[in-house]
Amino acid sequence: MRGYILRRLLELVPTMMVIVVASFALVRLAPGSPFASEKQISPQVRAALEAKYGFDKPLAEQFVRYLGRIMQGDLGPSTKYPQRSVNEIIADGFPVTLTLGAVALVWALLIGITAGIIGAVRQNTVWDHAAMAAALIGISIPSFVLGPVLVLVVSLRWHLLPPAGWGDWRHVILPGLTLGTIYAASIARLTRGGMLEVVRSDFIRTARAKGLPERLVIWRHMLKGGLLPVVSYLGPAIASILTGSIVVEKIFNIPGIGPYFVDAAFNRDYFLVMGIVLIDAALLLVMNLVVDVVYTLLDPRIEYS
Amino acid sequence: MALAALFSGCSRPDHGYFGTIKPVHGPNEIWINNSTEPEWIDPSTCSDSAGGEIIWNIFAGLVQAHPATLEPCPDIATHWDISEDGRTYTFHLRPSEWSDGTPLTAHDFVYSFRRLVDPKTASKYASNGHVLQGGVAISAGKAAPETLGVRAIDDLTLEVKLTDPVPYFMSLLTFYSFMPIPQHLMESLAAKGIAPELWVRPEYVVCNGPYRMTEWRFRQHMIFAKNPRYWDAANVRLDRVRLAMVENETTALAMYAAGEFDWPGHNSALPFEFMDYVEEFKDFRRHSELRSYFYWINTKRPPLDNPLLRRALSRAVNRTALMTHITRGEQTPTASLAPNGLAGYRGLDLPLFDPDEARRLLAEAGYASGADVPPITLTYNTSEGHKQVAEAIQQMWKQELGITVELENLEWNVFLQKAAQTDFQICRMGWSADYEDPFNFLEILSGASGNNHSNWKSPEYDRLVLEANRELDPAVRLEKLRQAEAVALAEQPLIPIYIGTSSQLIKPYVRGMWANQLVRHPWKYLWIDEAFDPAKPPTADPPPPNPRASP
Repeated sequence: MRGYILRRLLELVPTMMVIVVASFALVRLAPGSPFASEKQISPQVRAALEAKYGFDKPLAEQFVRYLGRIMQGDLGPSTKYPQRSVNEIIADGFPVTLTLGAVALVWALLIGITAGIIGAVRQNTVWDHAAMAAALIGISIPSFVLGPVLVLVVSLRWHLLPPAGWGDWRHVILPGLTLGTIYAASIARLTRGGMLEVVRSDFIRTARAKGLPERLVIWRHMLKGGLLPVVSYLGPAIASILTGSIVVEKIFNIPGIGPYFVDAAFNRDYFLVMGIVLIDAALLLVMNLVVDVVYTLLDPRIEYS
Repeated sequence: MALAALFSGCSRPDHGYFGTIKPVHGPNEIWINNSTEPEWIDPSTCSDSAGGEIIWNIFAGLVQAHPATLEPCPDIATHWDISEDGRTYTFHLRPSEWSDGTPLTAHDFVYSFRRLVDPKTASKYASNGHVLQGGVAISAGKAAPETLGVRAIDDLTLEVKLTDPVPYFMSLLTFYSFMPIPQHLMESLAAKGIAPELWVRPEYVVCNGPYRMTEWRFRQHMIFAKNPRYWDAANVRLDRVRLAMVENETTALAMYAAGEFDWPGHNSALPFEFMDYVEEFKDFRRHSELRSYFYWINTKRPPLDNPLLRRALSRAVNRTALMTHITRGEQTPTASLAPNGLAGYRGLDLPLFDPDEARRLLAEAGYASGADVPPITLTYNTSEGHKQVAEAIQQMWKQELGITVELENLEWNVFLQKAAQTDFQICRMGWSADYEDPFNFLEILSGASGNNHSNWKSPEYDRLVLEANRELDPAVRLEKLRQAEAVALAEQPLIPIYIGTSSQLIKPYVRGMWANQLVRHPWKYLWIDEAFDPAKPPTADPPPPNPRASP
């Protein structure tokens, strides 16, 4: 197992390398400039700005310099926010996105797994239909609709929570619910499906035959097997939650890293785009590895060598 | 639309105002939205309106714009003398201090003005310093910054020499590019090896205006406290300003409704789709703004290299219908570039819509019908508003002239690049005034202007504009500018469409704000009216204070 993890970690290096090369090439091939503005700037000013960020050097040299930089953990300066480095921007925004993501994830797991269990245990009853209908609605309502509706009802009509912003616990509830709901809905359907798949398995029959109480059969045996599809879903889902949601963070004006995916690209903030891509890629790769490892804990039949 | 209906159903209160009408904070503060994280809050390098809003309130320049009339009034300079040839200004400064207690002197202004045009600063607004003697050469790297026509005669006397006796110089001086920069701070940071661009961070920043920054939470908010060392601190009413950065317009509107903003700020537009709805409320305000909306024409690319065809297109735009049905913000339709009445300017008053003349011009251009005109592409940047205007004009050209126009929608950065390279046939553009003078609009048609995206150049136009700016008699000058505009529009390198308006929501308890064409509302005049009662008719705002009367 340890060897497997080590091998997978080593495999990350070339993968990340390919990502760095590809994203560097893509971002620099895009038309436009980080210094584009409605009011034209003189060639002297443009040259001074390009020299300041090293964009006057040949692209290959810029790439080598960038590689040298990231090896030392320096993601470079931001051209859009000249008073800040990309490291600083990510260090500021990442904990915010992480907090929001954690709340959304807890909500998604709590609601999703509960609804999934109810659906599986009470298959084809009113309970099952209600839970799955709710899940269908949850999947179908995009966050750019759910978010504003929650704001209108909870903040503007009931005056219970602030409509947007970031500061204390009150600010995290509405965006957490908005972000978590879509995942909750998927988790509910996956949990139900996974549990129904194992419900007629021999080991469940054996457990029941041993006289185990139904509660224990569900918790100890059915759920463990039933959660496998949820776990494989959770890998990319967690990576996606942790790298922030463009829509939810925009709607609730949350200073996380989500909006940079779009904004940094629009602004041609080269180093910030690269920084965000690298963080996202690293998270996704690591989360996939974690999922593979968790598989072995949940299903004894899976073994890596 | 469903959301608009929900919004509507949610909060139409009896008092007729949008959302809360009692401040959720103390009486000595105000919460404003600045829409976005500023790029720069350094006067020399700033070119974005979010940064400008902050600079205007934490720095004090030689002069300030009157909050209602925009007339240049004393700020750090108590008075000034202008030489007979209109080229030399001598400013007499009041003794004043930076926020760290260091005396502010004329040398700080010399340092700042040089820094603005120094190519090493890489200022996107270096062109604002081109009116100063030597400014153009220094910007182009052909002369040393020390040769700029600015010198400190003594600590409290500043002499500024101009290339031409431009009458708008005092108005231009109220712009943020001319605010002073603390030379002593810049030198001390450099000595400590701290990057110069960090000087505006709250841990370092030293300023001389009504407010100073005490907190900057990246992409959340900034907090400003009253600067007790500002020379006119006694007349600054609010102790604290919280300036948020909320980009999403609908979010900002919801926060305004909930009282999280007293004023969503002039940098944050009201959501297009809610405009009809919010207009009905008593806290909605609208006034004209010096912002022009027009279409550039690439005059070198056929078939639009024919000026008659370009004029036909302009005449076929039904601007009044466009304002009534599409833009719906009470904009002023215009077929000329410089707004009528600006600094006494008498505009050309060209017809806003003349389809018969348009068809005549089309025939004169050599086209029996619009169907003979090769297809034309109209380019705009992604935005629902630009799209609707473009679609309407496309329809008008089809209907009135039979010309087929294709629409091209581009992402902002790509759009800017194409505009800069004049790689289009027709493209939409906007131009906001930095100072009150028709030249601020007409300069974009100068042959040497980097902002002229039409490929159109006219020696006669350039001569008239140059002569106008060298003219001491204001009436003669304005007439020359008018002639220049007539020369340009006879060839139609652009199609003017409208002069914009500013539409805002402002809580009824916010006072000390007066409508003006540059939408500048200095925080130092703002105050919170705790006695506001929605049951009583609103009392009239007291007349704007006149800074000229300040000691």
